[in-house]
Amino acid sequence: MSRPVARPRSRPILDGATLRLGEREVPLRSGALHYWRLPKDHWRDALRQVKALGLPMVETYVPWGVHELELRDGKPVFDFGERDPRRDLAGFLDLAAEEELLVFVRPGPHINAELTGFGLPQRVLDDPEVQARSPRGNPVVLYFPPKMFAVPSHASEAYREHAGEWLDAVGAIVGPRRWPKGPVVMTQVDNELGFFFRSGPYCQDYHDDALALWHSFLTERHGDLEGVCRAHRATYATWSDASPPTRFAGDLEGDDRLGELARQLDWAAFAEHLHTVFARHLRHRFDRADLGELPAVHNVSIGEGGAPVSVASLGEAVDLVGLDYYHPTREQRVIKRRTLYLSGTTGAAYAPELGVGAPPWFTPLAHEDSLVTAMTACAYGLRGFNLYMAVDRDRWYGAPIDALGRARPEATAWRRFLAALENVEFHRAKRDVRIALEWPREYQRLTRATHLLGTVSPAVLEAMGGTPVELCRADAFGFERPIQHVWWDDLARVASALTAAQVPYVYVDSDAPEARFEGYDVIFAPSYEYASPRRFERLARLAAKGAHVVYGPRLPERDEALLPRAFTAPGGHAPTRLDDTMAHALVADWVGRFELERPFATLPPVETTVHEIDGEERVLFVINSASAREAEIALARPTVAVDALTGESIAGDTSLRVAIDGESCRMFLLQSERRKAPRARRRT
Amino acid sequence: MISAELRFEGFDARSWTNLVSLFLPGLPERLDRAPDASDAPVAEGEVRARGSLLVVVDEDDVILAASHSQRGRVRELAGTSVDRAALPLLAARAGAHRVLLLREGVMEELAEQLGARFRSDDSYLAQLLEVIRAARELEASGELTLWPNPIANVPIPTAATFERALDLVLPDGRAAVLALWDGPLWTAVVLRRRHGEIDLVAGPEMLVRWTGPLGGDWRRDYRVILDAVARSVAPVHFGIFAEAPTVRSLLRAADAGTWAQSVAVRNVVISPMPRTVGAALGADAVRGIGKASARALGGLDFAGALLPFVREVRARVTHASSVSEILGFDPLKVLGAILRRDEPPRDE
Repeated sequence: MSRPVARPRSRPILDGATLRLGEREVPLRSGALHYWRLPKDHWRDALRQVKALGLPMVETYVPWGVHELELRDGKPVFDFGERDPRRDLAGFLDLAAEEELLVFVRPGPHINAELTGFGLPQRVLDDPEVQARSPRGNPVVLYFPPKMFAVPSHASEAYREHAGEWLDAVGAIVGPRRWPKGPVVMTQVDNELGFFFRSGPYCQDYHDDALALWHSFLTERHGDLEGVCRAHRATYATWSDASPPTRFAGDLEGDDRLGELARQLDWAAFAEHLHTVFARHLRHRFDRADLGELPAVHNVSIGEGGAPVSVASLGEAVDLVGLDYYHPTREQRVIKRRTLYLSGTTGAAYAPELGVGAPPWFTPLAHEDSLVTAMTACAYGLRGFNLYMAVDRDRWYGAPIDALGRARPEATAWRRFLAALENVEFHRAKRDVRIALEWPREYQRLTRATHLLGTVSPAVLEAMGGTPVELCRADAFGFERPIQHVWWDDLARVASALTAAQVPYVYVDSDAPEARFEGYDVIFAPSYEYASPRRFERLARLAAKGAHVVYGPRLPERDEALLPRAFTAPGGHAPTRLDDTMAHALVADWVGRFELERPFATLPPVETTVHEIDGEERVLFVINSASAREAEIALARPTVAVDALTGESIAGDTSLRVAIDGESCRMFLLQSERRKAPRARRRT
Repeated sequence: MISAELRFEGFDARSWTNLVSLFLPGLPERLDRAPDASDAPVAEGEVRARGSLLVVVDEDDVILAASHSQRGRVRELAGTSVDRAALPLLAARAGAHRVLLLREGVMEELAEQLGARFRSDDSYLAQLLEVIRAARELEASGELTLWPNPIANVPIPTAATFERALDLVLPDGRAAVLALWDGPLWTAVVLRRRHGEIDLVAGPEMLVRWTGPLGGDWRRDYRVILDAVARSVAPVHFGIFAEAPTVRSLLRAADAGTWAQSVAVRNVVISPMPRTVGAALGADAVRGIGKASARALGGLDFAGALLPFVREVRARVTHASSVSEILGFDPLKVLGAILRRDEPPRDE
């Protein structure tokens, strides 16, 4: 009998921020180009410029509403270049292959892309069976220019059927061009799930199919109707009585109030569930459409801190979930928080849309905003990204390559930055992080449930530069303090103390798998009167494995349905109050207890981050969220640091003196060998 | 007014932010402002100079939550009662220059009303006016209050009325051009109206593609631009050409006569000058003369004294306020009021 021959891998594998194509490793870096928006004879120039930027991969949406021409005998008719050469998807993919670029394809079904109707065909949007519903059964309107539209329901069976036909059509073209036969190496499932920005607690979705899903969700969560009655402190004779809330009854007392809160928390959790179910459905549909062997990602829009989606749960449906980044430089601290959240919660921090420029109806962003955002995100651990847009197009401004496929002056800075990332193999870099702050989803849901501004949802507030807790009710609901605010404040307080002490940390979503919490010396888990029992059981297991778990300020006494439950303290200790002084004391304790290192220490407000590759400190970022200044950075040994963008070389024996502009970031390549003794610890 | 097939193209980041900074309150301030010193991921209670206060109240006007647009939550207001007649005091207490007060549930009510009235085949303008109309109804019923409200007395035109006013400024099948210099071309925008709707918004890159390299003297270059746009886009109905600081000041000017004066001394070139715009400038000049002469003559209204002459001028410029008359308000005046209110004075 002959021995089996080792076959090369026949499909792309996503490993952190690296794509493995057989023996080849490709960093997860790409640039967006919308083929249908450019004349076909500009495609080649534009693709060459994308490559010249230093990107191995080009990304494109595939717009359903652009390719669908009409319905014939009840079936959609698509144009993939037969009538309009700009719609020649196959031609575009083949040309990318000719230019030795890999392709990342995002076929939706929803893509936004600043298209009218977010890229969905009008006949689909107009189908009443498709439309999401408000509490009174009205369509849910999105106010975006250049035309408002009624958003689809993610639960709608009709929408899913329409979308399936579209995916089959795309699959027929993209499937045969999957790597290794073609250039396509990755896909994205839908786009920015989150109720199309209409994500206030009672904006949607009261569609019949959503209500059916609501009831199955309640069964899953509480066992049966009796369990739901117990949780909601209600007497439901039938499932139809167990209707979702349409407003917050803020004037209840005692058990009624607890029941109302439990129902509201269920509704907030259901919104996340609905999105995860939809993502799973689509992933399955991608499989049927011959797109299944490709790694799939999903992007969550800015405002995820208040969005009705769970990044960690979506990770069960796709291979990697990332966040989109569109920030002015003044939001460096937001970029930091979001990236630390991604680093801790997902396998690799990835930005499916790292904004270069913006649509005209968004906050105006200058070139410096885009570049500083990219560098700051990388500073805090972003390992892969898609520059959106690399090539300019209709309804966009500010891409580094213009719509004729010519590099703009701003392309030079991007080229240097990307070359630096490539040269050090930044996608393989790690940060030495030993502290995890748990992002408690059960409290985030209370924040969403108590939000008072309806359509201007917590996610929208956050996207506008605010915080998701800003317009919640101030009531404490019988708890010691308003938990909907306090969890955010407490996390910010500890994060602030860690920042002041220059100790690296990450946020890990409580929905993340247990493996994401392993390897940290310290886990800080905010907890109040109620909590998820599953979360506390996991904390106990992590404590048993040696993690120093700090929960509190309270040991919970109720579960997520606010029913009494005994919780066991998961080791560590609970600070009874968590003011600034206590936060600083906690951090000081951790620094001493675990001998936490603070390499390249400097004085606030400047921060530094260091990234290791194969155990060597290779990249140093200096981040300044304040006004221009000169920072002195402590060195453990003589070091030469070379600015990745300007080439400026700075050397020092015991310190580096670095001049840095206001609201900016500098990336330095470290030239001296700084190998560290390997330790079994968390690296993100 | 805006086509569903709208094309927007030809801007890089600089030219777009330059253009928007002319019209977006607060943007120049943001672009120029020195960054704050801070080191926390979220530092609650940071005090910044300006901003709006958003307040949500219950049935009894007790505050459920309050948020400052730049400082975030305003905890001390929660649980207190609002005296609607004393919103200026509330603004001062919170360090804001504007207050938006909403009754709990009003945003949901607004969304329901819009959902019920929604017609997908309406134009964006009609849809947008419906939003404004619904908000105005809620304001009238006390569910929503804005203080101060610079558009309180501005009537809401119908879509058809708005289109008629637009016909005067930019008729169908024609283009309008704004090109501004600050040394080199600082920003530019070309608008085209086709089938009744704006279907093209093109920036400097497109413009330069149509014109070829420009000479550098804006008082000459504008003619090249007009020819090129006429060739490549549509005949130009209305063009404004000037240095950027001039237009920024004019947009915020409160004094009558400033536009007319700038055009007279060719600090601003308006070419072609539609009849309505010429007449409006004439009226602006007359208002300016009246105001200036009153100042110069120690309070005596010189224009009033020359009333018969002024009447004659006004009679000849019957279209002077056509746009305003159709809409029921002067859009430039409203814009100027908003920009002046929202931006600190700039040294220009």
